[in-house]
Amino acid sequence: MITQGIEEKTFWLNLGPQHPSTHGVLRILLEMDGEYIASAEPVIGYGHRAHEHMAENRNYHQFLPNMGRVDYLHALAYNHGYCMAVEKLIGVVVPERAEYIRVITNELNRLTSHLLWFGAYLMDLGAFTPFLYCFDDREHILDLLDQVTGSRLTYCYYRFGGVPKDIDDDFIFGTRAFIKRLRSRWVDYHNLVTKNVIFIHRAKGVGIFTKEQCQLYGITGPSLRGSGIPYDIRKSEPYSAYPLFDFEIPIGENGDIYDRYIVRLQEMEQSCRIIEQALDKLPNGPIMAEKVPKRIKPAVGEVYQAVETARGEFGTYIVSNGDIKPYRIKLRVPSFGNLSLMVESFKDNLVADVVAILGSIDVVIPEIDR
Amino acid sequence: MLTDSIPKALSPLNLEKVAPGEYAKTGYHLEVTATPEQMPAVAQAMIKEGCFLESLTAVHTSKEAFTLVYHFANFYELCRTAVHASLPDGAEAPTISHIIPAADWYEREVYDLFGIKFAGHPNLKRLLLPEDADIHPLRKEFAAEGEVKAEAPQ
Repeated sequence: MITQGIEEKTFWLNLGPQHPSTHGVLRILLEMDGEYIASAEPVIGYGHRAHEHMAENRNYHQFLPNMGRVDYLHALAYNHGYCMAVEKLIGVVVPERAEYIRVITNELNRLTSHLLWFGAYLMDLGAFTPFLYCFDDREHILDLLDQVTGSRLTYCYYRFGGVPKDIDDDFIFGTRAFIKRLRSRWVDYHNLVTKNVIFIHRAKGVGIFTKEQCQLYGITGPSLRGSGIPYDIRKSEPYSAYPLFDFEIPIGENGDIYDRYIVRLQEMEQSCRIIEQALDKLPNGPIMAEKVPKRIKPAVGEVYQAVETARGEFGTYIVSNGDIKPYRIKLRVPSFGNLSLMVESFKDNLVADVVAILGSIDVVIPEIDR
Repeated sequence: MLTDSIPKALSPLNLEKVAPGEYAKTGYHLEVTATPEQMPAVAQAMIKEGCFLESLTAVHTSKEAFTLVYHFANFYELCRTAVHASLPDGAEAPTISHIIPAADWYEREVYDLFGIKFAGHPNLKRLLLPEDADIHPLRKEFAAEGEVKAEAPQ
């Protein structure tokens, strides 16, 4: 297909940065050989807010609100990762009830993220109806989380040592009712999309990630599990209250778009299971650890803490030099590695599949840009 | 067990330090200290052991030196390896992007934010900041407008 004299035959196509299917401001330079892509170069950084630089100029508490703004779709996982890293650094143990509340709210937030992906992705592929269905469902979770966290999107709910506000019976009742409702909707979702022949033709066998590529590019999250590698931090490196619950890690076989889609849908059901178990077993007790210092001044040292977000592994790397400000914070974001594989996986694909492959890894560009 | 096989795989490289880490405190199962020149060989060994590159970053440790920090983990077994490599200011570190493609963007990010150059990198240009930027904002001497300058350690 691509033969000699490639320079004369190819042309450059600019995708983005202002394009609805790039989910944020991502620009991709595509070198085209007719309808096929010869090479691709993502251009990122349009949304760079210098979070890592900000971290070095404020104390540990002051950096907390930033974490809801790195990946706004699964903000609570970022809250969780950062809080756990600092707790590890200062040696604070979180009470059991707070761990349960963290898991419940975190999984609800994961559901909102997957639901948004589901709607937005299918809209990318040209289906409008699923978008309305899942935004309807997502709205219920946003209302529930609004009750406890006080915000709808950029949550800043966890604190070092626990959570500031307890969940009440209203929230528990509402969450149970919502899960029942969401479960009744799976049938509609599958009838609308999973069994849709147009979707199957667009998704099966397209955008395959091999296991080797996943290792070399450091792919994590549902995009990795679609390729059949059962790597999920909640199981591989258990944290918080996750080891206490019974849930499965769904995996795919072929690593194509269809498998990544199925993995995400199954993951939503697993999140429902986790939330139900956590509500059943919710212990009484304090929601904040005693003796959390108001002025956090960790000893000299460093810590790495990983958590599983809706997109993959989020790692917080903190270096402390004994000051009240972090000396260096590095945020290892999942979409960064996942997007860097695009350079490879767009090659020899049709331009019509670019949006389908890009959407299937569920990128959040502001998370990459930090 | 990777905590056994990784030190065995790294032992022919004569690294400065290969020791078990304090997992409960730092999140590392293995802590390794190497020189930047040894990094391509270390990366090769880690890939052979089935590990992947979690993150690559730098820390501006003192006025004259940086530390490059490489985190490796494994999909099938819990074993996080942190590799520290100290690099004098102005010196170039060899790239590992030809061995681990994930490092391509990480090295560009480190170049962008710290000004550290990676010898042999195929496309070492800015990643997050605009192409015509003339700052490296994560160096300690850098201060944004109106910002109190963070002091470099002694």
